Amino acid sequence: MAKLYVQAFPPADLNKNTEWFMYPGVWTTYIIIVFFSWLLVLSVFGCTPGTAWTVVNLFHFAITYHFFHWKKGTPFADDQGMYNTLTWWEQMDNGKQLTRNRKFLIVVPVVLYLIALHTTDYQQPMLFLNTLAVSVLVVAKLPNMHKVRIFGINAES
Amino acid sequence: MVRLPYTTALTTLFSYGLLFAFGQLRDFFRKFVDWFKAKNVKGYAPICLGLEDFYVRRLYLRIQDCFGRPIASAPDSWFDVVERTSKDNNKTLQRTSNTTRCLNLGSYNYLGFAAADEYCTPRVIESLKKYSASTCSVRVDGGTTKLHNELEELAARFVGKPAAILFGMGYVTNSAIIPCLIGKGGLIISDSLNHNSIVNGARGSGATVRVFQHNSPAHLEEVLREQIAGGQPRTHRPWKKIIVIVEGIYSMEGELCKLPEIIAVAKKYKAYTYLDEAHSIGAVGQSGRGVCELLGVDPADVDIMMGTFTKSFGSCGGYIAASKEIIQHLKHSCPAHLYATSMSPPAVQQVISAIKVILGEDGSNRGAQKLARIRENSNFFRSELKKMGFEVLGDNDSPVMPIMLYNPAKIPAFSRECLRQKVAVVTVAFPATPLLLARARICISASHTREDLMKALDVISRVGDLVGIKYFPAEPPKIAGADHDKLE
Repeated sequence: MAKLYVQAFPPADLNKNTEWFMYPGVWTTYIIIVFFSWLLVLSVFGCTPGTAWTVVNLFHFAITYHFFHWKKGTPFADDQGMYNTLTWWEQMDNGKQLTRNRKFLIVVPVVLYLIALHTTDYQQPMLFLNTLAVSVLVVAKLPNMHKVRIFGINAES
Repeated sequence: MVRLPYTTALTTLFSYGLLFAFGQLRDFFRKFVDWFKAKNVKGYAPICLGLEDFYVRRLYLRIQDCFGRPIASAPDSWFDVVERTSKDNNKTLQRTSNTTRCLNLGSYNYLGFAAADEYCTPRVIESLKKYSASTCSVRVDGGTTKLHNELEELAARFVGKPAAILFGMGYVTNSAIIPCLIGKGGLIISDSLNHNSIVNGARGSGATVRVFQHNSPAHLEEVLREQIAGGQPRTHRPWKKIIVIVEGIYSMEGELCKLPEIIAVAKKYKAYTYLDEAHSIGAVGQSGRGVCELLGVDPADVDIMMGTFTKSFGSCGGYIAASKEIIQHLKHSCPAHLYATSMSPPAVQQVISAIKVILGEDGSNRGAQKLARIRENSNFFRSELKKMGFEVLGDNDSPVMPIMLYNPAKIPAFSRECLRQKVAVVTVAFPATPLLLARARICISASHTREDLMKALDVISRVGDLVGIKYFPAEPPKIAGADHDKLE
């Protein structure tokens, strides 16, 4: 089998916390991790595929909300605290909105939501939980919500 | 630009994701354990955020035996590496009294001046007797000797500029100079892979900092047009001045700057240029004058030229070469000149002697031989590595050649196995490089013999097979009788 080679260019983004998302293979790795999480849930809990998709969707919501929209700053002291008030989503692409990576990260929870609904046959309470998760994630990722802290929630650095 | 197999990209990202997940999990449970411990200072904010040292705690300490290895002799082509042991999984390392004689592929000993030299060392010892080890004073007090003045004139003549100024530390040459050249209302456009000293100098200046994609004159022009059209933030007034900062050889890439194109773009938009030749001065060019000589750029076209004496010249410190007015301004305003201890006189003499050897003013052609040998060694080593199937970054004539490793598990594997085979290499990983692009960086010296290089190639080839870093097919060996068959 012939090897598939890709090219990697150093991005013009000095933020080490977000530049890794600009390299080839990130989208594929993201999707593969979600898919294998689904397989893992399916094997461990032995439930129906629909319930597994719902569990994956809720876990994806919890993890990505915490790391992309709640946790602030960077794990590098070199940055001297210049990102301490910004979430990962706000640091990404130097704050530029509607980039390809941002669009990808909005599409993934929506597609997960559609898969989960379809495989659970639109039954409650999965419908409510899935809708709540995708609503929060998509609203948090909208361009209008850039650096917005509703009622000062999570406002301190 | 690097090429890598797609599966390698996927496995690398997965590996880092796994390491990150386990690190976060351990931090999560550590929070609960620490919750019940008594807090000594109530009401005080933490000095260090726990997040900021996550990388060091959870990733770097695991493999810190591969970094910062102490040595026990001069860093010549062969040197002694001190062996270390650990009883707590690399959280702490203990030195032993044993050393290993290793082939040195890690030092910036480009011209071989790091060890004793027949011309330089006697003169350094003589200046040590005459001037003592340190002036214990700043340049504007009692810290200027005849040697300092001589080296400033010699450095300016060497790089082709009217005047130069010395500093005692290479890092400070960038981080203390840039705030003196530009301030609020100015614009700095920096290459995305510039050294940390440039980054910190740019941040400390108070000017607006913008980044252009690495070695891309097209993106530089795009950034310049956009920033000039937009003006200063919020007020949109014109910029007071614009400086484009690039490096001659990028130390993590081994890549030469596209200097003619970048100079053309900067002059088109009336921006100043600042060229950091920390690695390239003395190492490239027909007579060692750096990338200007190698790429055919007139030094008068570069506004400010910076270099260090810590690499090719086997000493310490750095210089800034520019017009007389700029140098005079720096002498009056730069804190590294006004407040820092001046460069040690024996170190100054070492640089003077090294430059004279390079220029041939020592009465022999050893300088030309050294330059020819490092060029020949570098191009030979690079072509052999590429034939074996390694992904080697950098350009021809560059003595820095990174070998791509990618996967985080291959960093310690390659480093430890090479050390076991008596070859000392430097591995570099995130955050010194981008996440996906971990590498081992080979630095070639003029003091390496052909036998040294052949031994190194043999070891790297075997370790490369063992670790699995030959990502490209190897070049098939040439058939000995092919030429004769064609002739017949």
